[in-house]
Parts: sequence; structure tokens; C-alpha cells
Amino acid sequence: MTDHGTHIARRSPEQVMRLSRLGSLHQCRLSFMRQLTRRMARENWTFSRPVFDIDDTGVGRAVYTAQGPERAYSLVAFAHDLPPEKRSDRVIADAWDATFALFDGIPTQDDLDRLERNVPLQEAGRISESELSLSRANRSVRLWTHVVEALAAGQQPDLEQIYKVGYLMRTTAVYGSGKFGAADREMIADRPEINAPFQVEMLSVFLTRAFVRDLVQHMADVQGGATTAKLDPTIAHWLGIGNSTGLGMAPFIVNHPMLFNNWIAVREEAIARIRSLNSATPAEADIFRQVFLRSRLSVSWWRSDHPIQIAKLDSLKSDLQAISECLERNDLTGEYPWHRLVEWSETALSEEGQELLNSLILEPYGALVDELATCMADGHADSFIIDGEMLVGEARGLIRGSYDWALDLDWAKPENCARAWYVSEEKLEPRMGERFEEPIAEYEQPLAPARDASAAYAAMESYSATQPVAEFLLHHPEHRHTIRRAQMSQRAPYGEIRDNTIGASVSPLDMLRAKLSFFGATHFDPRSDRWVRICMYAGAPYPENLTTENADLWVYPELPA
Amino acid sequence: MSFSLNELEALAKRATRGAGYSWGQAEEASKAARWLCAQGLDGAGILAGLLERGLASQPVRHRPQAIYGPWQSDGALCPLSAGPLLSDCAHLLWSGAIGMKDVAAPVLLLPFAANAARGLNSSLTVELDNARLVTDGTRISIPDPLPTTASRVFIARGGELEAQHSLKTRAHPKPEDWATLNRFAHRTYAPATEESRLLGAGAGVSDND
Repeated sequence: MTDHGTHIARRSPEQVMRLSRLGSLHQCRLSFMRQLTRRMARENWTFSRPVFDIDDTGVGRAVYTAQGPERAYSLVAFAHDLPPEKRSDRVIADAWDATFALFDGIPTQDDLDRLERNVPLQEAGRISESELSLSRANRSVRLWTHVVEALAAGQQPDLEQIYKVGYLMRTTAVYGSGKFGAADREMIADRPEINAPFQVEMLSVFLTRAFVRDLVQHMADVQGGATTAKLDPTIAHWLGIGNSTGLGMAPFIVNHPMLFNNWIAVREEAIARIRSLNSATPAEADIFRQVFLRSRLSVSWWRSDHPIQIAKLDSLKSDLQAISECLERNDLTGEYPWHRLVEWSETALSEEGQELLNSLILEPYGALVDELATCMADGHADSFIIDGEMLVGEARGLIRGSYDWALDLDWAKPENCARAWYVSEEKLEPRMGERFEEPIAEYEQPLAPARDASAAYAAMESYSATQPVAEFLLHHPEHRHTIRRAQMSQRAPYGEIRDNTIGASVSPLDMLRAKLSFFGATHFDPRSDRWVRICMYAGAPYPENLTTENADLWVYPELPA
Repeated sequence: MSFSLNELEALAKRATRGAGYSWGQAEEASKAARWLCAQGLDGAGILAGLLERGLASQPVRHRPQAIYGPWQSDGALCPLSAGPLLSDCAHLLWSGAIGMKDVAAPVLLLPFAANAARGLNSSLTVELDNARLVTDGTRISIPDPLPTTASRVFIARGGELEAQHSLKTRAHPKPEDWATLNRFAHRTYAPATEESRLLGAGAGVSDND
């Protein structure tokens, strides 16, 4: 990522890397779904459905193939007849309405038979290096039934109900990179279409959405026969794919400091580039105003019953009103219009509103921003290697740089270490528990880098500042992971969360939201402080309709004429 | 059965932690096992064999006592202490060779020597008793059979890679070694309780809508 002659600096990690702000991030031009749809449209990908073999009970298989310039990828989908009592989003579920694998290429009959023996079992099955992801989805029973019944009766479903739920199926896990035998990311990361983060997973969900639309039509056709209505494409357009994301995803951003740094650093660089523009053309200002209005419409459809999100949504709605009033006063023709707008937002808006605005100001400037997407993967495997020649004094300095705030905290106080992250025997998934109420402390995962940094900092006190850190680590291997992170922070200033991840008040939702915002998710709907539902691809073109005109701004609903 | 290298790495990390090593060493052991598997070597078996020796219960007996001078201790050196130290201290190889005495599972030193080779941008020759191995950081030329112990280890810059072999993308562990790694990994898992089932993953509301 090269300096772009920017003179408004990126925001500091101290400002950006707080959990409350990370938990207020919104999608933007750099989000992984939008990167994928832009690329597929630009490269003129073609899509086909070579197999759709689903019976009248809704059981069978289908294949959706996406053909890019050099390679093809196929979603292999299995539809099941799931008894209602088995329908659960939890990771402990063992049956689903539909299960999927993304196949690398075009599967043969033998591949499909092999996958049919394994994919429906999900974690209990095995896939191979021919597969790039494994996933499953459950129906929104209410909306599914409504749509099937309406179409079977020759009518269109009620748009209000579609807006309210947003999806016919939600994925409850999308496993990539080597999981359950799939190909490792390292095997495919040098392909341009896969190099950006999570492109495999985003493609899988994009194709899943087409399958779900086709399946609901099929089930309506079975029920309604010849008089069944065809789902109106303008209604289908608003159907996304839901996603339930649990606690298992939260540790990801702690465990991948280089990668997470790149996501945040790229967005910060994009914001800094736009803030540094000394003027905006009328056309650019107009794009921003349009996108703002469309974003406001999208927020008006955002529902949540969770008290934390309800409060955040209320603030966001006030923020939107304040932005609207600000835009009436400020016609964006003055000097540094975006910088002035952002500076104003920092005094006038909540973090939800500030971060929405930071995402929106990027929209008129694809030419300045989109190239940054190539810097979001982590290509520095060797940053893992510790530089033992570094002096103890330097290493302590790095820890102060990221964790100054944590060094004076009394880490023995219950409120500062009330929680512990552990892996459960049952499902081998990360969980978070109460250190002082459950027998979990001895199983604790290293997901409290601030506490660990504070301990390493103190342990180094008895070493001379001019000793090499290798000497310290020889005698204190328990601090190796911390020294490694501290050294990574030189290259990854946005790699460390500047908050306590085990405090009594930590909300894992903030970590989930930060990650999902980079996927491009919208309408976060927390179901507890540990899992959240979102919607993906609502408003996006379906594969057969993807064009360069509709590949990008689909995330913002069109305003009513 | 073949496993992805990510699966191997994830299990190796948990197993090493379960065997009593620090998290940092567990991270390094898992990358080391992965590196060996990518070379076509039995990373899972070599790591499982080391973990069975239980050296982590007395770490001080099994790590070099000082950086300068030959690396040795009262007991056999653990490659998960000597290896990371080698990687940390690659710069010492500019001024001479590094010698070690009595190393357990010495093949596990190789991934760390490879780290050093990449850091120095120079091939390294690793002598395990009479066996001579060369790595340029990415690949390695190895004798057959591989030594399972080394009373004397000598690492210096230089050496020519002989046959170039392609890197492997899958691990093929023996079932018994995989089971050993799983057994150690299991020690890191908290037993499930009804409370954690409900609280830990945050359910409690209906999933159906």
C-alpha cells in the first residue's frame, strides 16, 4: 500500500481499535462481497445450473457453476427434508435444510456422489482438496411458508414480510481454508480471483442465494401446479441470504493480527485519501448525496430486538437526521469537504454514525479506493518469526505502543479478568465463560493479548534493556506469543484491539460486527451478546443478471421513484 | 486418509499446548510440523513422538542454558526450545556455527533452521551426527533414513541443495500418530457442562423464525 500523497493522516490505532468503534463499523466499497461482484462483472463471468435434481418433497441436489476467465467454481447443493424440531442455528446442530460445498472446477458424477455421502454430514463428513468450502443453511420457516403458499396460490408474496425477514434461508456456518479436509487457502491464494480475503466464502453464498430462490420456486410449483406464480424478480431482488454467526468467529480477529490490520489499515488509508481531497466535483457530491439517501432507506429497514442494538439504532437514526441537516447547510463545494464533514461528525455523531459516514464518503471515489483491495490479504507469513536480536528495551517499547493503557491495570481484579475464552470438548468451538464461576481457567485460550502483554512487560523488567530478547525468551517461553505479537505490531499497527477482551463488560458482539462489516454484511441483529444474525446480498443482482452497472452499489436500495 | 495442512497445524498446536508447552511454542511446533509435512516428511509422527517423551514437565532440564557456547543441558535438548532459539538467534550464524549436544527428535530442528535460512537469505547445512541436511528455507535435501536422535548437532551457513522435490499440499499421518496428537489436544478442551452449553455459546432464544 503506497502513500498516495495523502496529507490528512490515517486515524490512529488508539482511536480506531477500540471495541466500541470496531463494533460500529459498516460495510464499504472495500467489503468482500462487493469486491467479488465487481470483479465477476468486470471479468464477464458466466453462470449456469447444470444440475437441478430436486424431488417433490424438496430433497435432491443441484449444481451452480460460475465460470471465470481462467477457472470455474461450482456450488454443489443438497436439499433436505428437515423435521422442525431439528432446525437449529447452533453449532451443535447435526441436520439442516440445505448443505453445500464449493467445488474447485466442475464436478463429475463421481464427485457429486462422493459429496452426497459427506456434505450433508457437515463436520462429521470429510471433503477433499477439490473443495474450497463447506456450509449449510436453514429456512426462515415463516417467510419460506409464506412465499411458497403465496406463489402456489398464484400470487406474489407480501413485500412487507420480505423486508421484515430479509432472507429465505440463513447459513449457520461457512467453513473455508482446509476445514474438514478442504483445500488450504495457501493452495489457491495466488489466484487473482481468490487472493482477496474470503472470496471463496462470498462466492459460495452468492451462488447459494440463487439456489434458494430456485428451490422456493420449485416447492411452490410442486404445491400449486400449473397456476403457480413465478416469483417476481423485483421481489426476489430483496431476498438476501441470512447468516447466523456465533462466538466462534470472534477470536478470528485476535488470532490474525496481520490480516485484521490489513483490513483496517486499508479502510483507514481509503478514508485518509478522501479526506485529503481539497475539493469535490458536483458529480461526486451528488453521488454521495444519493448514496446517503439510499443508505438511510436501508437503515430504516434495519430491525433488532436486542437492547444494545436498539439503542445503537436509535443513535444511528438521530445521526442520519443530523447528517441530513448538515448536508442542507453544507453543499460540499468548500475546501476539503470530506475532511470537514468527518471532523464535524466526530463532534456531533455517535460511533455508529461516524463510521457510517466514513464508509459513505468512499463511494464516489472508486478510482482512488478500489485498488487498495489488493492489500487486504496477509502475504507476510514470515512475520511470525521472532527477531531475537531485538533488544529487551525495544520489545518493551513496542508493548507500550500497543498496550500502554493495559500496563497499569490490576489484572488480578475480578472485573478485569472475569471472562475466559476456552474450547469446549463437545464441539471444539471457542466459547467464553465466567472465570470465577465455571471450571474453565485451566483451559484458557490465549485471547487476552493485553493481559499477556502486561505480564511480559513486567517479566522483562528484571532484564537489561540492552539484552537481546532471545535471552529473555530462552528462559521465559511463556511470553513467546506475546513478543511475536509485539514485533508484528511494527508492521501491523492496527492489529491489536485496544480494549480488554476478558473484562466483565466485554461484548463479543463488537468483534463479530467488526469482522462481518468487512464481509459487507448489513442489518446486524444480535440475538444475545454472543451471536448475531445478518443479511448478505439483499438487493444484489442474481448471477444471470450481474452487470458492471449493478455489481457495486446494490447494497444501497434504490429510492422509490 | 489425507488431511489439509491447516488441519494438521491446528491439531498440532492444540496437542503441543496439551503436552504442557507454552502457547508460543505450540504455535511454532504446529508450523514446524506443517513445514515437515510440506516436505513430504512425517510431521505428525515426529511431533507425536516428541510429545510422548514428556519433556515439557521439566523444561529447564531440556533447554539450552545459555545462548553463547554449545547449546546443552542436563537432559536431552527439546527441539521446541532449541529450535525457536535457533530461529531467534539466526544472526549468530554470521559469525560462526551453532553447536548442540544431545537433541531429542532432532528433525524438528529443521523447520527452525529453515526460518533462519530465510532470514539470512543463505542456505544452511545441518549435521545431525553423521547425517548431513541442507535447507534453503523453502526446501530441504534429506538423507534416508532420517536420524531419530542426535548426540551432536552442528549448524552452519552454506551447502548445496541436491534433489529438488515438489512441496506437498496434504498431510498423510499414521492413524496412531493422529490419535496421539488428538489425545494431547484433548487436554486443552474444557469438559462440556449444561451451563456452558447454554451460556458459553450464547443460545437461549429460539432459532426458528
